[in-house]
Amino acid sequence: MTLLVPFYRLMVRPLFREPVRTSLTILAIALGVSVVLAIDLAGGAAAGSFRSSMETLAGDNDLEVVTSGGVPENVVGTLATLPYPIRVSPRIEDYAVIADTKKSLPLIGLDLVAEGSAFAQSESQKPVASQTQDVSEHAFEYLGDADSIWVGSSLGYRAGDRVELLINDQVHSYTVRGVYPDSNGNESAIVMDLAAAQHALARYGRVDRILLKVPETPSPEEWQQRLQAALPAGVEVRPQGTGTNENRRMLAAFRWNLRLLSYISLVVGAFLIYNTISVSVVRRRPEIGIVRALGASKRVILSAFVGEAACFGIAGALVGLPLGRFMATGAVRLMSATVESLYVSSRPGIIELNAGSVFLAFAIGVGVAVASAYSPADEASQVSPVEAMARGRREYDVHVQKARDLWIALALGLAAGAASRAPAIAGKPLLGYLAAILLVVASALAIPAFVEALTSVSSKLLGKLLGIEALLASRSLAASLRRTSVLVGALSTAIAMMTAVGIMVGSFRQTVVVWMEDQLPADLYLRPAGSAAADRHPTLSSGLEEEIAKLPGVAAVDRLRAYEINFENMPATLASADLNVPRVYHNSDFFSGRPKEQVLAELRDSNAVIVSEPFTYKHHLKAGDSLTLSLGETRATFRIADVYYDYSSERGGIFMDRNTMLRYLPDRAPSNLAIYVSPGAQLDVVRTEIEKATTGHRVLMFSNRDLRAEAIRIFDRTFAITYALEAVAVIVAVMGIAGALLALVIDRRRELGLLQFLGAATRQVRKLILVEAGLLGLLANLAGLALGFALSLILIYVINKQSFGWTIRFHWPIEILLGALTVVYAATVFAGLYPAQVAVRLSPVEVVHEE
Amino acid sequence: MPILSLQEVSKDYLTDGQPVHALSSISLNVERGEFVAMVGRSGCGKSTLLNLAGAMDFPTSGNVLLDGVATSSLKDSGLTRLHREKIGFIFQSFQLLHTLTVFENVELPLLLAGKSNPREAARERLAWVELDGLGDRYPHQLSGGQMQRVAIARALIHSPSILLADEPTGNLDTTTGGLILELLRRLTREQNTATIMATHSPEAASLANTLVRLRDGRIQEITRR
Repeated sequence: MTLLVPFYRLMVRPLFREPVRTSLTILAIALGVSVVLAIDLAGGAAAGSFRSSMETLAGDNDLEVVTSGGVPENVVGTLATLPYPIRVSPRIEDYAVIADTKKSLPLIGLDLVAEGSAFAQSESQKPVASQTQDVSEHAFEYLGDADSIWVGSSLGYRAGDRVELLINDQVHSYTVRGVYPDSNGNESAIVMDLAAAQHALARYGRVDRILLKVPETPSPEEWQQRLQAALPAGVEVRPQGTGTNENRRMLAAFRWNLRLLSYISLVVGAFLIYNTISVSVVRRRPEIGIVRALGASKRVILSAFVGEAACFGIAGALVGLPLGRFMATGAVRLMSATVESLYVSSRPGIIELNAGSVFLAFAIGVGVAVASAYSPADEASQVSPVEAMARGRREYDVHVQKARDLWIALALGLAAGAASRAPAIAGKPLLGYLAAILLVVASALAIPAFVEALTSVSSKLLGKLLGIEALLASRSLAASLRRTSVLVGALSTAIAMMTAVGIMVGSFRQTVVVWMEDQLPADLYLRPAGSAAADRHPTLSSGLEEEIAKLPGVAAVDRLRAYEINFENMPATLASADLNVPRVYHNSDFFSGRPKEQVLAELRDSNAVIVSEPFTYKHHLKAGDSLTLSLGETRATFRIADVYYDYSSERGGIFMDRNTMLRYLPDRAPSNLAIYVSPGAQLDVVRTEIEKATTGHRVLMFSNRDLRAEAIRIFDRTFAITYALEAVAVIVAVMGIAGALLALVIDRRRELGLLQFLGAATRQVRKLILVEAGLLGLLANLAGLALGFALSLILIYVINKQSFGWTIRFHWPIEILLGALTVVYAATVFAGLYPAQVAVRLSPVEVVHEE
Repeated sequence: MPILSLQEVSKDYLTDGQPVHALSSISLNVERGEFVAMVGRSGCGKSTLLNLAGAMDFPTSGNVLLDGVATSSLKDSGLTRLHREKIGFIFQSFQLLHTLTVFENVELPLLLAGKSNPREAARERLAWVELDGLGDRYPHQLSGGQMQRVAIARALIHSPSILLADEPTGNLDTTTGGLILELLRRLTREQNTATIMATHSPEAASLANTLVRLRDGRIQEITRR
């Protein structure tokens, strides 16, 4: 405890004398902490706890019965008549949009007569206060009515209200018969009777899922086997909530990659803490000498500097906590939208700043600060008291073993190359990440040699081009090689990550743009206005396509149908189209490189499918392999005719001929229509005709161009959070540069004062600092661009491929990169403005004579 | 006309809110070619007087005239021009930039003044201080005496009218210090420069034409030889 007083006086108090620099360091840590916290909180709320929306009001059942295309209703009868004391709850599960508010909600069809009696029984056992909030007096009388619905309380309806719901392509009118408490909207849904839901969705004779409550003995696994044996082959019995687990598994790569991206700011922050503590050590060498001479042990000195870093970490965590909570709100919105459009319907949970979050913030804040400060703190503890006192203030640059570090960098670079060629481990690109980390470390080690080589070659040239200030700035950077290297390392790491992600996203975008050219061959596309997402496929009314096909100017109508299915414990999309509709294709979209016509001809009326690239990657399948699907009551085996590139979703897709699909799943209603306009017909005229023909149906019609624009909009939104994370990392780095330049001005005040004695004008002193900032930015941009290019190759060909299974064709997004690098460069120079102002305010008389 | 004229110059500072009288009513004229030594105890005002003479600081009252121009009347640009053209500084701890070579250190004032091709002038000044051939070395490759010679060459690079030296031998051994003083005296004579040197050393003071003795911020005695 007694050491706390000198610790405060010698280590903490001096921090208050440089409030700007101290604040910048704390803010840099705070931003790093807040970003990680925000992604963690948002992940927990938006993706981590991703209960499937369909688990709403699912209760505490043990097992569920599912199959692709819906479970035949007779299975309910089979289960109910089994000689087992099990509770059977069939459900219809889809989505409805409230017509007024456009809010999309799960639509749950329950056997309300059966469930209602169980519900009434449980309500009567509850204390009065917790009973269902608003149930009309005769609510149970309306259980079986086709227009009765029950809604969550957060929707604000009362019993007796009329609500219009858009279901598939039709608007239906319903009466609210009761309101149930829905945990602030987290369990909000539209509930109606099973038969009413089947009617609204035109899903006759099938239910989407049957929930089963089984006795405690024997085990649920045993029950699963017993019940499976009693059911048709295509119907699967599995633990309830498997869908949620599947979602989590599917989202694992997405969350994992996002979380890793959030660590970039921390890495950059670590560089800056290292720099701050290094400066602190060098400045205090005489003090260290004196304190050592007065009896302080090496351990005390080490602890003092580690303690200083911990103070930064604690302060950073304290600021980062509320900041992270605030950022999480925006992150949840972005993540939810991405998850919804690319993966699965979901409902973000509540963002909770709990004890775990607080612990995480402090653990990363203090952990990163202490870890990055350890090396300079250890160096401080090695200071010899005699040397430190005799030599007084030493130049910052102690010694940098450039040659040795360069060799290590080379070895690490080679190791990174080897790691990048290794396969995924447990489905995760762990060695890809290792390769990226090795490259970042190799770059950090190579930077001193790079800085020295470049400054020694360019200083004279810079002097000639930009004047003596540039020569002095360049020499000063080379002389403070360690400090310069750490700053360039920090900024270049942020720039490299930005460049790498920029190249990866740019390449991905370009790949998608090229791919889309052949994906949308029709002129117009039609889909129900009902709620749509990656896993929602609302259908059009039967017969609509035939009406459209008869219209003048319509050459052909292609019916597309999609189902949400489960394949080997992972969600996937099963789709079909009319393969007899003639199309014109320009490119092959297949791994085999065969013409599209040839591949699709193989699918016609046969048990052959094509599968998407992410699907093959997830399930380790290839062209020529077979796969078995549960379709309705049967299990059917299909040959994989080829593999197609698909960038629309990471879920994985299986595609077959419509006729083949109808053999197993006879529901003829299409999910989408692709409409081909006759040659010579005017698109606008045909469109108007279709609009007339679809009066009474709620449909959305898009032109080919609209759909492409929408796809690109979703694509850009998907990566918005990535850009946000990159931006924070760059902000942290630029703040670090500002703080470091400030330290540099303070440490070099004697030199800056001397220049004024020698005739330097104030504008020259200002220019000197700004040129130094500019040089730092330039060096960081060059190093960052080189490292970023290498990292982008790992991102595109290793991490992305092993995480998501997409083949991305490399593309330089030159405009975006140039724009981003220019902004970063300008920000770096901007960061020098305040330090430059401090430099010109120094009194030359005081600073030159103070030693 | 004297190159430097101090007329009833006083300088007060505020230190922690308390006024400190650094110089009181100082009057002194220095001519070209004159070698002035200022002596006195630490804190007597020697460095303050040098800073006023070099227009790095300004009097609280009175006037400092450099070549007939009052330093207080000059704006920033005029002061910068004055430093670039008329004044050379030499410091006790040499104040060389360790990132620059000897040539580059010597050239620095000319480069800051925007002059091109200063190498010949630097070579000439290094010859004056007998350091021919050492121009490409860095300061850390020189002895203390050599470093101070470089500092003198730098101070002379723009042929200043007045050379201000603050304890130029304070960090040197007696022999080397003697050589530096001899060099300063020779250059003052040869270049017709006025040199004002603050020193504690009686040996250094004995070489000057004029001895100014300061005490508690006042001139106690002026001895011209």
